[in-house]
Amino acid sequence: MKRQNILIIILLLWSLGPLLWQIYTSFSTTESIIRPFETEGNRWTIDHYIQVLNADPPFWRYLFNSFIVGITSTFLTLLLAIPASYVIGNSNSKFAKSFKILLLTASLFPYVLLFLSLLEVARDFGLGNNLFALCIPYSALSMPLAVLLLSAAFKDLPNDLEEAARIEGLNLWQRLRYVLMPLITPAISSTAIIIFIFSWNEYPIALTWITKSNLITLPVAIARIAGSSIYSVPYGAYAAATVLGAIPLILIVLLFQRQIVSGLTQGAIKG
Amino acid sequence: MINYILILPAIILIGIVFGYPIIRYFWLSFHASSVLTNLDVINNNGANWLRVIGDGRFWQDTIQTFRFASVSVSLELIIAMAIALLLNQKFRARGVVRALTLLPWALPTTIMALGWRWIFNTPYGPIEKIALLMGFESINILSNPNLAWMATVIADIWKTTPFITLILLAGLQTIPNDLYEALKLEGGKSFDSFIRITVPLLRPYLLISVLFRLAQAFGVFDLIQVMTGGGPAGSTESLGLYAYLNAMRFLDFGYSATIIFFSFIILSSFCLLSWFLIRKSKLILSSK
Repeated sequence: MKRQNILIIILLLWSLGPLLWQIYTSFSTTESIIRPFETEGNRWTIDHYIQVLNADPPFWRYLFNSFIVGITSTFLTLLLAIPASYVIGNSNSKFAKSFKILLLTASLFPYVLLFLSLLEVARDFGLGNNLFALCIPYSALSMPLAVLLLSAAFKDLPNDLEEAARIEGLNLWQRLRYVLMPLITPAISSTAIIIFIFSWNEYPIALTWITKSNLITLPVAIARIAGSSIYSVPYGAYAAATVLGAIPLILIVLLFQRQIVSGLTQGAIKG
Repeated sequence: MINYILILPAIILIGIVFGYPIIRYFWLSFHASSVLTNLDVINNNGANWLRVIGDGRFWQDTIQTFRFASVSVSLELIIAMAIALLLNQKFRARGVVRALTLLPWALPTTIMALGWRWIFNTPYGPIEKIALLMGFESINILSNPNLAWMATVIADIWKTTPFITLILLAGLQTIPNDLYEALKLEGGKSFDSFIRITVPLLRPYLLISVLFRLAQAFGVFDLIQVMTGGGPAGSTESLGLYAYLNAMRFLDFGYSATIIFFSFIILSSFCLLSWFLIRKSKLILSSK
């Protein structure tokens, strides 16, 4: 076998190993989970999956919650970031520049340190236990990346184009909607997918803002399974929940690989 | 004028989510707000700041946070460079392989941290079992103060290397092939071309990944909380976790805010410093 192939197999084992181990654990009976390398009768089971899927509230409910949070956060971020990026991409004013520096500083701040204070904000404004409210912190946390990506895309568009549309008598909204935005669709979709994944996965804020068990998001729900027994972590059920929860993400990564890659790299480089 | 209106909503949102907490932490750091004060906020004239300077646990956590951040980020850079060089070559199903290596980045940190805890579990996890099968004594990784932090570093490397790999891969694609050809004609070996072409031209990409990752690694919280809870014997406790414990477990919000604000100052100066150092080294190299 070529050296290159061996290296690629090692790389894939490293990248997928922990997930593969979860899959292996999730199909093992409770007795064989603690003896991972011994072969014996009755090694395999789907009981953990049945247990997770039949729990109350049902597992798909968490998928649905995470989906709602992901979609609303993505939508709100784009709604605010597109106009702001249009200005920053087209203007060299001091105001636009200082806004960009503000964003960069914000993106360096370790966001987990914010959530204690954000919890107070949620309490003061009655935002707790509301899935839609989560899009407020998530949009703000996604804003630096979104604005950097989108403003770079606006900047790359030729100026004549918008000038021509202006002469045709289109107002700002029409120019954005019918001329400029269709041309930056690749940047918009990259941004959207990265924000969606971030919002889907976010843990500390989701944990502290949402306490009703039928409203919690997927990561919180999976973590709850782990904490449901005080004696030992029920690793079988936990692994099954992890595998089920990972399926949508695997699909997203495989389908939108190109958008994610260009989004992450552009975001880091143009920033 | 219209420009201001278009940016304003984004600024307001950032103000609420970033600006307000930072100002609030700063203000709270000069106040006592804990169980002792019935959670009322009382001015204590900087007592929190005196306390944090004399707090051995805070400084121990600072050292641990630096150790965690510097070891993970430097190992991540080396591994990501190797992976990027590999993924930049031509092979079959390259797109799928690239997508699969991205997966650790896309999975939720907390969930996979618990997965790693299971892998390092004693006595049931695979690492422990393999060690026993190979005839070693029980390693008991997560209960050993000298090893537990390395386990958290491994999990962090697994999770965040894909991000650096992507950036370096993007950088590699900007290097024209002619440069390598030219060096080959001059009789350079492939290691020469790595040192003389790849590394210097990737410098801006390396710089940006170091900055991003240092800032993130410095704020590490959920990974540690799930894998070790800061133990054993506080050996893996990060500043973020210490601030969290002060607020949520000891209910000392004033002191927690002080820790958060102080770590933010340390982090910013550290980021600025490394930025200047790397920029300076770039000047030295380019003047050669």
